[in-house]
Amino acid sequence: MDLPLSTITLSTGLALLLVGMWGMLTHKNIIRMIIGFSLMDTGVHMVMVSIGYLSGRTAPIINDAVNRATALQEVVDPVPSALVLTAIVIGLGITAVMLAFAVQIHEKKKSLSIEDCTESKW
Amino acid sequence: MIKRLFILLLLVLFGIMFYNVASHYVEPLELSPLASRYVDKGPDELGAANLVTSVVVTYRGLDTLGEVTVLFLSAAAVGLLLGLSAKASAPEGESKQPKTASSELVQTTVEYLVPIIFLFGAYIFINGHLTPGGGFQGGAVIASGILLLFLGLPLAKLRHTLLGLLESLSGFSYVVVGLLGLILAGGFLDNRFLPLGEYGQLFSAGAIPLIYIFIGLKVGTELSAVLENFKGNNSD
Amino acid sequence: MSMNELLGSLVVLAGSVFLFSAGLGVLRMPDAYNRIQTGTKASTLGTIMVLIGLAIYHPAWIGKLLLLIFFVLLTNPVSSHALARASHRRHIRLAEQTVIDKLDEDEAGAMKKVKTEVVEGVE
Repeated sequence: MDLPLSTITLSTGLALLLVGMWGMLTHKNIIRMIIGFSLMDTGVHMVMVSIGYLSGRTAPIINDAVNRATALQEVVDPVPSALVLTAIVIGLGITAVMLAFAVQIHEKKKSLSIEDCTESKW
Repeated sequence: MIKRLFILLLLVLFGIMFYNVASHYVEPLELSPLASRYVDKGPDELGAANLVTSVVVTYRGLDTLGEVTVLFLSAAAVGLLLGLSAKASAPEGESKQPKTASSELVQTTVEYLVPIIFLFGAYIFINGHLTPGGGFQGGAVIASGILLLFLGLPLAKLRHTLLGLLESLSGFSYVVVGLLGLILAGGFLDNRFLPLGEYGQLFSAGAIPLIYIFIGLKVGTELSAVLENFKGNNSD
Repeated sequence: MSMNELLGSLVVLAGSVFLFSAGLGVLRMPDAYNRIQTGTKASTLGTIMVLIGLAIYHPAWIGKLLLLIFFVLLTNPVSSHALARASHRRHIRLAEQTVIDKLDEDEAGAMKKVKTEVVEGVE
């Protein structure tokens, strides 16, 4: 099968999204749910990067490897890479706040299972 | 049982949707018009060799300012959440084990490696406009150096006031550089108020290295503060 | 194939044999300390040999590869030392064939010295 690289990366990213979603929905331990969220995050980043890839081209940095005059035919799309840079940093911030919440929940209730957090249930 | 069925149904439906997306994906043969404009005019207008840097810092510079703000907010939230618990458990802190120093081999190696890691991180964010990398990646490397310090030398203490001062000054200077671009050049966060210089050199591309230095310092000190909050036992 | 390529490929092959034996050792050893020892020694040597083979194959890259070798040689043994000390502090079980535990004797001797100093100081 002669699949281009962008299709392989796209499918891997979408598969990671599914795995992360399954992890978030099935587990009861808060830390495992946070890991599932992190997996979903990584999957989304992979999908975004794969959209910008064109076959046979190289990284968008103009030095000895890429000539300035023919750069239009030789580089990959730089815009999705820039968007993913922002997205990765924001994913880090969200994960940090989630972990701080998990630490606080453990201190107040002495357990990390989400079944014990019943204040928001009807 | 019903819950498991629902989860399975949800995953199957998502799977069908994703399969549709992946099977109908056709790779484009040319760059999109937006990307062509950035690749064509980027090196001449801005003087940066790394096209992703020119997009992140200048063409989409306002998004980067928003991202730095979000990072600051999350670091402040972590400090608020974990700082309260440290104060609450401070009176009964004597029940924790006293910290012992690590062995001499580990201490020597950590003292040897941490400056090298800081140098590497600084190299990454100073050369952000010439090689892959930039402010955020360099700041993350600096924070990993501080993590090595915490793990290898358990009795080391960081000075909070210095870290806080460095972080605030870097963030403030980033906005000041943006305002200078507004006053002296085309618009907010325009990098042309410093000379564009010779293409491919270290001191080129106007204010882009300056912006990345401030972003790198800010992200590095911020992540170190987050790590220190997670470590706990803040005494000052 | 020129001489450089042949020699470089042979050294890389030898390095990969060492890396395989590191994995085999981690699988077959009886307790944690033995596993740490085989894993570190054999894999460090394997990595260094692969990098040297690459340096012979591409002589232009020799500066960067020497730096990499130095870095691996600096960090691998220290990290395994930290792991082994930490697992000894946690009282991870030693294998049944063990005869001597030198670290226990060292630490017991150090504790006794501290205790006798305290007692003599009181008197």
